[in-house]
Amino acid sequence: MKRRGGLFPLLAMAFMLVAAETAPAHEVRPGFLELREIDPNTYSLLWKRPTGGEVEIQIAPVVPEGCRLSTPDRQQLTPGAVVVRGTLTCEGGIAAKTLRVAGLETTITDVLVRIHHADGRLESHLLRPATPSVTLGGLTSGLQRGISYVQLGFQHILLGVDHLLFVLGLLLIVSSRWMLFKTVTAFTAAHSITLAIATLGYASVPLPPLNAAIALSILFLGPEIVRAWRGETSFTIRHPWVVAFAFGLLHGFGFASGLTTMGLPRAEIPLALLLFNVGVELGQLGFVILILLLERAFSVLEVRWPRLAARLPGYAVGTLGAYWTIQRTLILLGGLR
Amino acid sequence: MRWGLLRAAIASAATVPMIPAVASAHLVNTGLGPFYDGISHLTLTPEDLLPAIALALLAGLRGAYAGRLALFIFPASWLIGGLAGLAWPTVGTAPVPIAVGFILLGGLVATDANIKPSWVVVLAIGLGLFHGYLNGAAMSQARLGALGLGGIVAALFAVVALVAALVVALRPPWTRIAVRVAGSWIVAVGLLLLGWSLRAA
Repeated sequence: MKRRGGLFPLLAMAFMLVAAETAPAHEVRPGFLELREIDPNTYSLLWKRPTGGEVEIQIAPVVPEGCRLSTPDRQQLTPGAVVVRGTLTCEGGIAAKTLRVAGLETTITDVLVRIHHADGRLESHLLRPATPSVTLGGLTSGLQRGISYVQLGFQHILLGVDHLLFVLGLLLIVSSRWMLFKTVTAFTAAHSITLAIATLGYASVPLPPLNAAIALSILFLGPEIVRAWRGETSFTIRHPWVVAFAFGLLHGFGFASGLTTMGLPRAEIPLALLLFNVGVELGQLGFVILILLLERAFSVLEVRWPRLAARLPGYAVGTLGAYWTIQRTLILLGGLR
Repeated sequence: MRWGLLRAAIASAATVPMIPAVASAHLVNTGLGPFYDGISHLTLTPEDLLPAIALALLAGLRGAYAGRLALFIFPASWLIGGLAGLAWPTVGTAPVPIAVGFILLGGLVATDANIKPSWVVVLAIGLGLFHGYLNGAAMSQARLGALGLGGIVAALFAVVALVAALVVALRPPWTRIAVRVAGSWIVAVGLLLLGWSLRAA
């Protein structure tokens, strides 16, 4: 298998488009709203809005009609989220009432809504920008809850252009199918490890330096791709799986931000972690398979790219990596000041 | 050959304004932003996906050169048509020309018509401009803009590349028959759509 010296310049342009789209609103960590029934008309409320990312998103739950919310405490600022606690009082209960999250439609994030009923029933909904409201009172099966975690993971990788760009950079460096298998497996294993560690609460990394480090990992691949074009060698080119594993540990903490913000109940964490990771892997695997199939298709159709176009993906990795590194470092320094 | 292609391109582009094109708007909202909305639109809208598959099948049957022409000219025409639709949108639906397109393309695939690559170019430009214009007009109303169109064109490029390459790579004779059968199904879908449209009218 030849090294992918740039068989998909249009893919690079697609990356630029997605990057342009997600850059102004790059906050994909979901919000979390929990209601626990205290008595037939009263619910304790917990609202977590993700914060501390590259941009602040302004979303807030709208109290259903006929209900009243009292929030005796001021909102708390925890790592990665603004937390609001309160009591929701609804005459006649919340069944058939409509809950909406204002501002969600202008974002690219989701809100997980969970309602613990006094009789032990658990109701769960995933509100999305396209469907920012839900009518309460329906039963939610374990399967539905599981699907929503898979969706969250899948969506997290699709919108995490930085993660996909890192994978593309690795694909541009590896030169054999066996090495490709080792590299993708190493990246998967590494990010699964740190995803689990962070979600289970054993370790955490603040978001601004983490994002800057992830951007740096992409920038790191830029010069390596150029070395590969020139026929030179380096440790990364000889052992890309080692680099994939090392940086995969960082990316795993990034994936974990999609779950840790919500502060899930401990009993729910193993299922959520497993299915969220399944969603991430499905998205990543789909991306790798698409790249390999396109490479094969271009070969069958005997497409000969001009030299400059052939190198566009490598330049996309390098320049976007550099741009994000500078941008995120400035955000980090701004936060430190 | 190049003059033939140029003449074919001009002729094809000239026929597009004659089609009473009006925009149909059923766009997908994935919640992942306009680019992914565009990708989902193409993959979930048979009126747009089937002609793309049919053209890729036809180009694949005609070999790697025709496949390459379709790969670049079809998405480029779609993009130009889409930008025109964004700039000068109209409202409504155009099921009859879409159905005729299904029947024409499906028929060419089903009969394994031995057409020159220049005719693949004509079809790519005509279909691309027409469907692109409809998409662009619909996106203008939905305020998805050029990013949504970019998603459609990217998905279109991938679909044409994968399908055309698959057909070019087919070696056993029976596989060519399977491709022709797929063409006949596209004709059938076109006939159903045409009948339904005329009945509704």
